[in-house]
Amino acid sequence: MTSWTGELSLDLEDRKGKTVARNVFFQGAFKVMRPIYHDDTGKVCYYLLNPGGGYLDGDRYRMKVTANKGAKVTLTTQSATKVYKTPKGYAYQETDIVLEKGSYLEFLPDPLIAYENARYLQKNTIRMESGAIFLYTDILTPGWSPSGKKFSYHTVQLVNKIYFDGKLAVFDHIKLSPGKQDISGLGFMEGYSHIGSMIVIGEQTNAELLDELYEIILSQGADMKYGLSELVISGLSIRILANSTQVIERIIFECRRLIHEKWFGMTPNSLRKY
Amino acid sequence: MNKNLLSLFQICDSGLPTGAFSHSFGLESYIQVDIVKDQKTFFEWLRVYVHDQLIYTDGLVCRLVYEALEQQNFQEIWEWDRMLMVQNLPRETREGTQMIGDRLLKIAQSLYDFPVLALYRDRIDKKKAFAHPSIVFTMIAYGLQVSKEDAILYYLYSASSSLVQNAVRAIPLGQTAGIMITHKFHPELQLAMKKIMQLTENDFGIVSPGLELSQMHHERVNIRIFMS
Repeated sequence: MTSWTGELSLDLEDRKGKTVARNVFFQGAFKVMRPIYHDDTGKVCYYLLNPGGGYLDGDRYRMKVTANKGAKVTLTTQSATKVYKTPKGYAYQETDIVLEKGSYLEFLPDPLIAYENARYLQKNTIRMESGAIFLYTDILTPGWSPSGKKFSYHTVQLVNKIYFDGKLAVFDHIKLSPGKQDISGLGFMEGYSHIGSMIVIGEQTNAELLDELYEIILSQGADMKYGLSELVISGLSIRILANSTQVIERIIFECRRLIHEKWFGMTPNSLRKY
Repeated sequence: MNKNLLSLFQICDSGLPTGAFSHSFGLESYIQVDIVKDQKTFFEWLRVYVHDQLIYTDGLVCRLVYEALEQQNFQEIWEWDRMLMVQNLPRETREGTQMIGDRLLKIAQSLYDFPVLALYRDRIDKKKAFAHPSIVFTMIAYGLQVSKEDAILYYLYSASSSLVQNAVRAIPLGQTAGIMITHKFHPELQLAMKKIMQLTENDFGIVSPGLELSQMHHERVNIRIFMS
């Protein structure tokens, strides 16, 4: 299997304090828009888009991003990832990200919306060197069906692997098959419809940061459930169950803001797209 | 019951000083908010915990490590040791499991001289491995020549019976209720074992969001009798 529905590769480097592309390549149903510099830090922001409008039966997407030494990059999508029904074969996306020493990469895709009878497998593999900082978020919605029924998709499977200095340090595997599980019940979504995750890896992670993030999440006062915890390496993960994309996005934005303020001494721009 | 099965049965005893007594693996978070409050709700929690978390982690690794032992493929065992550690995102549950694994290994080494136990200990001492109870348990079961299916089943029994004991104390439930739950849970364990036999490596580490989140949230539970 070597044919990809869409392929994208980005190789980024720091050139005198400004992150620029050494190489950009994309083909098929995967595109990247012109780089945007939201502020004067030299950090580049790329918006990824799927000109086809969504993932179909048997579609296969591949993305490779390399942040070379000192590069600073925000990756996001232009809109939600939509996976339509897949009667024959599941839709698949794999992402490989490399972070060299001193680089910062944040990958903040829009929510995933899986339609009725959709099957989707996503694999993210991150290889980072110590001294790099990585921030990742994702939001999984209950999907969409014509009748308005929630969780009508077949399967959504998300796998994140993070290697730190060559050793596997994080393995995160969520697989929701609403037809086979009591998806709203105890242990699963517990009455909520949306799940958000955030993974942050950076040497500056400490107990104080976790306490502050905890306070921030609590202060949102929204109807949600959450958990946050330190990883095996310097870093943390957060999970949020809520009833809307907006609640999770707000929490993620506030947590990201705190981390940017503490680690980079500045407030991040919003990634307003609409 | 043959002599070796009896030996493995001793390792399943919830009174074994592994520290499992101090870990609820997120159950206490549910007890605090009154979601788990009686025999029925605890049974449901245990069912989800075993079928939607334990089989994909400890249970599957039991089988894979048993198969690796058959092939004398130790490298694979050390890889599963790391996998189990890094997939366990909630810190308390991860550290608790590691502690239980370490103590179980100590107990195992005092009873048996299977060479693989010493290999595991050596790697742990050199910080090349973490220690996990399901791996230690499988090493003992394999050494005792217990079948793969029984090794998995007895491991699941051991993990669930210590949780029943903890639930009896924490909810609290009467001792009789505890016995009833354990008894009623036997078919679930059989079913879980059969599922594990059908899984592939690609199923490793699947977590149920709610369970995992409650294990993370336990860090922020104020009054607690368990360390996880």
